[in-house]
Amino acid sequence: MRAADAGLMVCHECHQLNRADAGQRHQRCTRCGARVHMRRPNSIVRTWALLITAALLYLPANLLPIMTVRMLGSGTPDTIMSGVVTLAKHGMFPIAAVVFIASILVPTFKLVGIAMLLFSVQRHHPMSPRQRILVFRFIEWIGRWSMLDIFVIAILVAIVNFGSLASVEAGFGAIAFASVVVLTMLAAITFDPRLIWDNTESGNKHD
Amino acid sequence: MPESAATPGLEEVPLEQLAACPECDLLMLKPALNLGEVAECPRCGCELFRLRHRIVGPGMALVLAALLLYFPANFLPIMQLNLLGRVTQDTVWSGVLSLYNSGMQGIAVVVFLCSMAVPLLKLLCQLAVLSCIAFDRAKPLGVALYRTYHHLREWGMLEVYLLGILVSIIKLRDMAELSLGIGLACFAGLLVVQVWLELVMSPHQVWEALSERRDARR
Repeated sequence: MRAADAGLMVCHECHQLNRADAGQRHQRCTRCGARVHMRRPNSIVRTWALLITAALLYLPANLLPIMTVRMLGSGTPDTIMSGVVTLAKHGMFPIAAVVFIASILVPTFKLVGIAMLLFSVQRHHPMSPRQRILVFRFIEWIGRWSMLDIFVIAILVAIVNFGSLASVEAGFGAIAFASVVVLTMLAAITFDPRLIWDNTESGNKHD
Repeated sequence: MPESAATPGLEEVPLEQLAACPECDLLMLKPALNLGEVAECPRCGCELFRLRHRIVGPGMALVLAALLLYFPANFLPIMQLNLLGRVTQDTVWSGVLSLYNSGMQGIAVVVFLCSMAVPLLKLLCQLAVLSCIAFDRAKPLGVALYRTYHHLREWGMLEVYLLGILVSIIKLRDMAELSLGIGLACFAGLLVVQVWLELVMSPHQVWEALSERRDARR
């Protein structure tokens, strides 16, 4: 039985149970004072909005250079992918793999994964709720690791600072990439995982 | 505990004896836990409760240790690079400054928030919450700060930054002579203490302690 069927709402923040009061439009948790809802309001629409914005920025994030390494005046702009290729060419395969996973696979997987969760909640899909919740938890857990490249840029810009001899500059692709990471993290927070179970048990559509 | 999940007539049970899973909304009888035990949702496997022996003492010690490590970790050099006799240093703070000065204010702010501001705010919130519980004072403030803490949690990325340091070390190795600084050790220490703290402060017990009346503290 769902808490919602018993007229109970779980607080998003402190997990306290609250009895739904039909008279009140904006109910607050009796323990921590946070807003409580049966389900997050407009969860699906908001998640879609964040996801589509992230998908649009995904292109400049991957096509524009994220940094330029200058040696003796001549610079080579690096995109995310060319950075990975350079690492691999120098024989640093484990690190190349880490950067490839964090900067290319994870953001792509998140965009596709969240879209898949949204689709599966809106129309009944063959994926079992158990599989979907695993996808959701994985997306929630892994999201922050994409920030890796941004931190690497911050470190390189600070330390490779030898004037005309050698320097590293951040490129505009980095801004787009950081935005993609932040937006997909927000999308994962906005998505209400309880919707995954709703449409499998009751057969109701929640969109 | 899983068997009780299917019990009919849960609506009639008093609210205090019930619990619901925050991830799948399954309603169940609140499990009785012994020390060190963990309760998971029988349907989706989400961790519901974890009962720890003591929170305040170890929590306080860890928060203070983390705060002591915070400043050297962020302001002492993580590494030095030596190129033809010229030496440059990198600290977490200098990374933020360099980005800011090179016209990348947006990313500078993101890096500053994720690697410096949020981790510090999280620690300060935890310190305040533990103090509220220990001294049995200002519980409403403690509640507000603990809520803030939960909103900040996702955005502190110390472990990702540490991986960033490792990637940078490997990238720079061929370029010039590299030596590691004391800041790196402090940073790694801060990360370890912070993860430990997360394990000690069981959210369910902190919420209970914050909502309890006087003399019921633990």
